[in-house]
Amino acid sequence: MTGTLRELWLFFRRDLCIARTYRTVFLFEAIEALFGVALFYYVARFVDSPQLRNALPQSESYFAFSLIGFVFLDYLNAAMDSFDRSLMEARDTGTLEHLLVTQTSLPVILAGSAIYPFAASTLRIAVYLAWGAVLFGFPLRDANWLAVAAVLVATLLAFSGLGILSASYLLLFKRGNPAKWFFLGLSSVAAGVLFPISVLPDWLQFVARLNPVTYALEAIRAALLGGAGFHAVWRPLLVLLFFAAVLLPLSMAVFAWALRRTKTTGTLMHR
Amino acid sequence: MVSDAAIIVESLLKSFPPARSGWRALLQPFEKPSVLALAGISFEVRPGEAMALLGANGAGKSTLLRILATLILPTKGRAQIAGHDAVRDPRAVRRQLGYHAGSDVGFYARLTCRENLRFFGSLNQLSGAPAAQRIEQLAEQFHLEEALERQVRTLSSGTMQRLSLARALLHQPRVLLLDEPTRSLDAIGAAEFRRFLKSEILRRGETTLLFASHALSEIELLADRIAVIDAGRLLACGTLTELKQRTGEASLEDAFLRLTGRAPDLAGNGAAE
Repeated sequence: MTGTLRELWLFFRRDLCIARTYRTVFLFEAIEALFGVALFYYVARFVDSPQLRNALPQSESYFAFSLIGFVFLDYLNAAMDSFDRSLMEARDTGTLEHLLVTQTSLPVILAGSAIYPFAASTLRIAVYLAWGAVLFGFPLRDANWLAVAAVLVATLLAFSGLGILSASYLLLFKRGNPAKWFFLGLSSVAAGVLFPISVLPDWLQFVARLNPVTYALEAIRAALLGGAGFHAVWRPLLVLLFFAAVLLPLSMAVFAWALRRTKTTGTLMHR
Repeated sequence: MVSDAAIIVESLLKSFPPARSGWRALLQPFEKPSVLALAGISFEVRPGEAMALLGANGAGKSTLLRILATLILPTKGRAQIAGHDAVRDPRAVRRQLGYHAGSDVGFYARLTCRENLRFFGSLNQLSGAPAAQRIEQLAEQFHLEEALERQVRTLSSGTMQRLSLARALLHQPRVLLLDEPTRSLDAIGAAEFRRFLKSEILRRGETTLLFASHALSEIELLADRIAVIDAGRLLACGTLTELKQRTGEASLEDAFLRLTGRAPDLAGNGAAE
C-alpha cells in the first residue's frame, strides 16, 4: 500500500514539475476564469427575478446556481477525461512503452497520471469561486467545506469508473471517449447544470433522477450555498458512493481485459 | 529441464489479427489471430552473453523482443528472463530487464535528464541516495554530466539515445533488450553508441544483451552469437565463424543472404533457391 502511494506521488510530482515549466498558463487560466465568472454574473443579472429565485433550490441567485453548475461540469469533465488523456499522451510521446517495462503496473500508471489533472481541476474550481466571491458577491460565508470536500471526493470516485471505462475503450479502439460524450451531453441537459430539472418534461426528469450528476449537483449546492452538513447530504452522497462501488470494480475488470486483449493483438502502442 | 540461461525462448509462437482500416478496425480487437509473426522459435542466451537478432523487416525480431519485455503476450510457447516467465510473472521479469528501442526513446521533453532518470528509476524501485548515486555514475559512464540539468527537448538525438540506454541500465538489470539501438543515429553517433556498449557494458560481462539490428558491422562488433530469423522462423544460431562455415560464405552479409534464400546466383540473376 505504501509502495503504491509512493508511486502515485511520483506521478503527481512528475506532472507538477512539467506544469511548472509552463508558468504563464496558470496566469492565463486565472484570467480565463475571471471572464467566465463575469459572463455568468451578467447573464444572471439579465435573467434574475424573484420568480426565478423561487424556482431554484435554496432560493439562491441564478448567478450562484449557474456558476456552481458550470464549474462542477468542468470537474466532471476532468474526472472522466484524465485517464484516457494520460494514456493518449503517454502513447503519443512514446513514454508508454518505457513506463510499461518498469515494475509499476499500468493501473497505477493510469491512476497516478490522473491525480494532477484532478488536483488542477479542484484548484480551477477554487479560482472560479474565489473570483465570484471577491468581485461578484458569490455567497461563500455559509459553506460547509467538509461536506463540499466529501461530495467532491464521492463524485471523483463515482466518475473515475467512467474515466477508466473510457481508457479501456481507448486501449481497444485508439480514439474517442463515448462515456464522456454521453454523460457530459446528458448531464448538460438532464442534471440541473444551468436550470433546475423541474423545468424538464416528466420523462427527462426521470432520466435526470438516474443520473448521478443530478445528486452530486444537489449535494454540492446544498453544502456550498445552504451550508448543509452530512445529515442533509447523506442521501446524494450514498447514491454517488453506490455508483462508485459498482463502477470502479467493473471498470477495473474491463480495463484489465482490454489491456490483456491489446497485449494479445499487439496493438498496445498503436495510435 | 533446468537451465541457468539468462534468456530462454522455447517454441515461441505469435500470431496477430489481420490489420483493418475504416469501420472494420472496430472489430480488430475481437478477431482471431491469423497473421503469423513467430513460428515456434527456440533458443537460449547465456548470462553475460551478447546475442544479435538478424532478419529482414517483418521477420519477427521486434515481436520477439516485445514478448520478452512483457509488452506483447505470446500465442504459445515460453519466454523466460532470469528464470521468470514473461506471461506468468511479468513484474519479476521487468525487475531483471532493461529495454531500449532506438526508434522511440520516449522521455518527458520538459523535464531535465536528471528528473527523467529519477522518475523512471523510482518506478523501478530505485530512489533516494542510491538513485542519485547511480545517476551520477551512469552520467559519467555515458558522458552525460553536462546534459543532466538540461531539458530533454534541448538534446541531440545521439545524447538522447545515450540517455535512453542509461535509463535502461538504471536499476542494474541482468538482461538488456535493445531494438535497433542505432536506428535514428548518424554514422558518428552510431559508432560512438556501439563503442559505449562494447566498452562500458559488454566488457564487464555482468549484463546479458539481446539486440535486434540491421547493421551488420554492429552485429559483428557486439554479438557473441547471431540468431538469423526469417518470416518468424529461426534459420540459424551461432557465432559469426559458425555461420560463415555453415554457409561457406566469407562475410556475414553473404551468409545472411544465403541462409534466407536471397543470395544471388553465380550469374547474378536474382535470388538462389
